[in-house]
Amino acid sequence: MKLNKRSVAHYARSDAPADHTGFLRTWGGPGTPPTPSGTGRRCWFVLKGNLLFSFESPDGRAPLSLVVLEGCTVELAEAPVPEEFAFAIRFDAPGVRPHLLAADGQAAQEAWVKALSRASFGYMRLVVRELESQLQDARQSLALQRSSPWKVTATHRKPQAPDRCSPAWGNGHFLPRDHSPGCFTEEGGSRPAGRDPVERELQGPASLLRSRGQSPVSPETSCFSTLHNWYGQEIVALRHRWQQRVQGSQPEHERQDRP
Amino acid sequence: MRYNEKELRALSRQPAEMAAELGMRGPKKGSVAKRRLVKLVVNFLFYFRTDEAEPLGALLLERCRVSQEEPGGFSISFVEDPERKYHFECCSQEQCQAWMEALRRASYEYMRKSLIFYRNEIQKMTGKDPLEQFGISEEARFQLTGTPRDGWSCIGSRLDALD
Repeated sequence: MKLNKRSVAHYARSDAPADHTGFLRTWGGPGTPPTPSGTGRRCWFVLKGNLLFSFESPDGRAPLSLVVLEGCTVELAEAPVPEEFAFAIRFDAPGVRPHLLAADGQAAQEAWVKALSRASFGYMRLVVRELESQLQDARQSLALQRSSPWKVTATHRKPQAPDRCSPAWGNGHFLPRDHSPGCFTEEGGSRPAGRDPVERELQGPASLLRSRGQSPVSPETSCFSTLHNWYGQEIVALRHRWQQRVQGSQPEHERQDRP
Repeated sequence: MRYNEKELRALSRQPAEMAAELGMRGPKKGSVAKRRLVKLVVNFLFYFRTDEAEPLGALLLERCRVSQEEPGGFSISFVEDPERKYHFECCSQEQCQAWMEALRRASYEYMRKSLIFYRNEIQKMTGKDPLEQFGISEEARFQLTGTPRDGWSCIGSRLDALD
């Protein structure tokens, strides 16, 4: 199978960021027996993304080998001679021998195992997508906070003068989307089990934008002032209704904590 | 340079980001365009003879340049030799556009840059590092500065002179 080796070698030597480097003892390669034995060969290893290169030394001109790190797991292993700090890269592919490597010390061994087990393209893609959606949330949240001059908290109301209301709902409380674990909603802690009508209404702006086919953060949203106005109008209407409700149903100097 | 060919072949059988039959012409002068099944998996572009299960070859897509050639056609070349081009012919400009966009985003380096950008933006907006909750903020691959280590910085220029 052909591979653009010249470009790959160039990439290996380039100043593209290396995720981990260091000396490791390695077994395998041309001229070595199929079963690892002996003390192995000491090489300089460079991890770039999902590619593990080896060189003769840090000044090595051309990479000796490349291990593509997709579809593999990394685990601690036993070396052929009583060698501590060994680990193996094991592939799912049938008929493929694990790559055996050994570090100089425990810290190095642990660091390598950690770095290699997270080297896959898929892992990086997962984190990128998570941050992408967090950024979207942050932008929506920021846009809403900027347009609203009053405070409303979902689970408990702080004593306030009736005509001075400023909402500061926790990020993500008002968004109607599904929240996956580890995403942006830890702030403010609990969401009320039964949403009170105010919070339900406050879901308006984001979902309204979506239903109109305009994402708050998409390139089609013309400009920030449009966005600002859009949210602003919704907030003004909501505020008006909230104020009416508050003044009509509760004594001015008392607020009840809602469960 | 040895590489783990068996594992790379296994990778070529994984679900692809994009796959299509395209015309493909190698970089050598006088090469003829042939129909190939072209498959994008992670940061590799595999190409097969249309009736074979095993790939003919693979292109690692790090530091590549994707350019529009004739209408409906694009090329891939690499930074160390930008004139050495792999040519691809699509059945429409739409298909060509879709492939070019996908290939430009297909590198690990591109993902890393996106991640660093998002991380920085989120930090600016919220004052919080979004990676902290996952306990991965210290990982080298997520750092803002991709400075090379230990004497690597001069290697690029030295090697170019040797070449």
